[in-house]
Amino acid sequence: MDIATYVNSMRDPAGLPFYPIIFQFLLVLTFAMHITMVNLVVGSTFVAIWEVWKKNEHGLRLAKALGRVLTVGMSIAIVLGVAPLLFVQVIYDPFWYTATTLSAFWALMFLVVITLAFYAGYGFYLGNRNADIDSAKTVWALVAGGLLLVTALLIHMLSMEQLMPQHWKDWIVSANGSVSYAGGEFHGIAFGRLLHFLLPSFAVTGVFLMLYSAYFKDREDYDKAYVNYVGQKGAWMALWASVLAIGAGFWWLGLIPSDFHFVRNPLFLLGAAMGVATTAFIGSSIFKPQERAIPAALLMFGTIFVMCCAREALRMKHMSQAGYSIYNYPVNADWPSTILFFATFIMGLFVLYFPAVAAFQAGRAKAGQVVTLDPCIGRKAVSAMIGWFVIVAGLGIIVSIKNGVLF
Amino acid sequence: MYPFWEVPFFTSGLVIALIATFHILPCHLATGAFWFTVYVERKAYKQNRPELLEFVKKYSLLILIFCFVIGSLSGVGIWYAATVASPRGISGLIHNYVWGWATEWVFFVIEIASIYVYYYTLGKIDQKSHLMMGWLYAWAAWISMIIITGILAFMLSSGKWVETGGFFDGFFNETYWPQLFTRTAFMLCIAGVYAAIVASTLQNPQVRRELIRSAGIWGVAGMVAGVVFAAWYLHKLPVHAKELWLDETLPYLGHLIKISAFSYGVVLLWFVVCCLMWPRMVGRLSGIIVLLVLFIGIGAGEGFREGIRRPYIIDQYLYGNQIVARDIPAKHIKAEVPVFNEQGFLKHLFFRPDKIDPSNWRDLMSAGNLIVHHQCGNCHALDRFGKIRPLPDLLANFSPESPEDIEGLLESLGDYPFMPPFAGNDLDKKAASEYLFSITRR
Repeated sequence: MDIATYVNSMRDPAGLPFYPIIFQFLLVLTFAMHITMVNLVVGSTFVAIWEVWKKNEHGLRLAKALGRVLTVGMSIAIVLGVAPLLFVQVIYDPFWYTATTLSAFWALMFLVVITLAFYAGYGFYLGNRNADIDSAKTVWALVAGGLLLVTALLIHMLSMEQLMPQHWKDWIVSANGSVSYAGGEFHGIAFGRLLHFLLPSFAVTGVFLMLYSAYFKDREDYDKAYVNYVGQKGAWMALWASVLAIGAGFWWLGLIPSDFHFVRNPLFLLGAAMGVATTAFIGSSIFKPQERAIPAALLMFGTIFVMCCAREALRMKHMSQAGYSIYNYPVNADWPSTILFFATFIMGLFVLYFPAVAAFQAGRAKAGQVVTLDPCIGRKAVSAMIGWFVIVAGLGIIVSIKNGVLF
Repeated sequence: MYPFWEVPFFTSGLVIALIATFHILPCHLATGAFWFTVYVERKAYKQNRPELLEFVKKYSLLILIFCFVIGSLSGVGIWYAATVASPRGISGLIHNYVWGWATEWVFFVIEIASIYVYYYTLGKIDQKSHLMMGWLYAWAAWISMIIITGILAFMLSSGKWVETGGFFDGFFNETYWPQLFTRTAFMLCIAGVYAAIVASTLQNPQVRRELIRSAGIWGVAGMVAGVVFAAWYLHKLPVHAKELWLDETLPYLGHLIKISAFSYGVVLLWFVVCCLMWPRMVGRLSGIIVLLVLFIGIGAGEGFREGIRRPYIIDQYLYGNQIVARDIPAKHIKAEVPVFNEQGFLKHLFFRPDKIDPSNWRDLMSAGNLIVHHQCGNCHALDRFGKIRPLPDLLANFSPESPEDIEGLLESLGDYPFMPPFAGNDLDKKAASEYLFSITRR
């Protein structure tokens, strides 16, 4: 059996419940959201450590704020990561399942390490809530940062192994005919690629600090010097990290097989152009980080999204070498469940407006002030949830009665 | 077939079971806790008793640190564990229920947004809006349970899906509603346990007693309702599942139910005696003990749910060894056993030596090793001192004197109501028998 026969025969016999390009779009979009949040978590951790080490008031205050970002961000990153984890299994199932099973031990270790990183992050946040310059400790942040780097390495390895189907068999079937079931394979580390995912952490965190500075600049109880300090720091950090990320991108480009001609890929070219444009824009914003924060953030996310599209194009190129294309995956379209998702997705955006407004307004108010929100917003959000429940439960009762399974 | 991952002595299935059991406490707490939290917060505002808000703050922090670390990671953990232990099983679920999971994900995002905003805006936004935020979280969390229960129930009873292949026909199946109500009652009970433990740490003795009692009432109500719904659930089990349990085809299922029922009784007793009668007895120590009892009870309950599915991992569709059991015409799915019987199982393995010479004993053993790992290793430990259904010990019960004896056993495997049939041609059977005979001699 050759590799093309294997990967194509391992597609799920049920086929896809909708057209592959939709899953592919959702995969890229949700991965872009996930990796942006991951970058923020990684960057916040190391910036927090640095700021504590500087031993000044502004640094400590920023480090405490980033401690909260680290813990909240990690939760959000994990939840956002569920979506690409789901969609990758739908369209790239033969690659995902093979690589993960070959490295089963490491896949499970990833969970252990990320859990420890999470608690170390909480250790840093809760442990320093009331600390002053002399008593602030970085040990838990160092542990969290180290563990986050380990998780990055593990996920990178699992991703890379999916791109190496031609080597899979050699890894576990030995020349004497024995087969390994240990699940301990660890292959494919490409530091150029890994760095291209890690260095943007500081660029994303830098832009986040610009946003932070813009957000708090009008709050009366926030020291203007502190807010400016954060904005300046963010802009400079975003600039230098973007330059370095571009460098790492070219390193990664050098690692891609030349016969892919990826340097001529339109998505890569667009991503590279946006990367340079974003860097130039941040460079021009150094002295006005607060005014430029929102366009910088939009440009940064746009660049990340296009780079994720380019990464997807590269994955397709790798997999085409193994005779695999998602576009000829058999489809058994299931419209009712597709409508359920998209209707819920739209409802979700509507509902999320409520916590977004609450968080935004509460954060803008000075300490001790209670913000009064428009009661309609919350009521509509909760009503939408109850409405969803009534519709789905009603549907369920009808289907159950029709199928004779209710009683 | 995908590569096989072996966990010596314990099987990869146990890894999933452990993570799943570990996941249930935080995830049911996450779904149930906020109904109680909102109840307390509403009371605080209505009766103008700000002292109750200390509980709200502490309880929410517990949910953040416990549910959104352990709960969310162990949830992802089940996926990872299922991926490495039973890739075709999880793939089968995902390719039918991807939109269900994606819909659940929308509610996860609402949950995480609303709980952080709830925790960090207590006292910073007006009371009505803050309560609404609590309601938003409570609904989002419970709806995520409404969705995942459909997929879990589908694994046990696939309903009309085998005929129509329709998402909702499989989702709203025979065991869906009773399982949903049982889990809902159970989530209130778990919320009650944690609420009582958190309440026991409050400074104000009057508030402490009052909230422990309230948590006790919630817990008892949840448990009493749970008994009723669990009885409905057991009544609605597929006939095949009932036979495995009630006819004592698999006696361990009866033991698991008894352990589960005993744990249930202990927790109920704790609610009545400690929470309702002597709230002073609720503390960290008794809390940890009752959580351990809960953990054991959940583990037994989950073991029961897994056990009554045998021989399937997805009812009627996929066997525990990840081989497709039957045709599903609506999805253009073909049963694989006849294919493997005709063409041979080995031929369908990619991760195998290129050449296998059946006349060479070493090659035959190597082929047998592969077949046995793929077809038996998901559920059976293959080691001499294996802890989970160890094949060497089970086969020794039949006192085989030659590989041919085992070959006969393999031929009749499908006659056991809890075992999938052997899938393969004569050569596969011979290779598997030789290998199995060798492990009984180790």
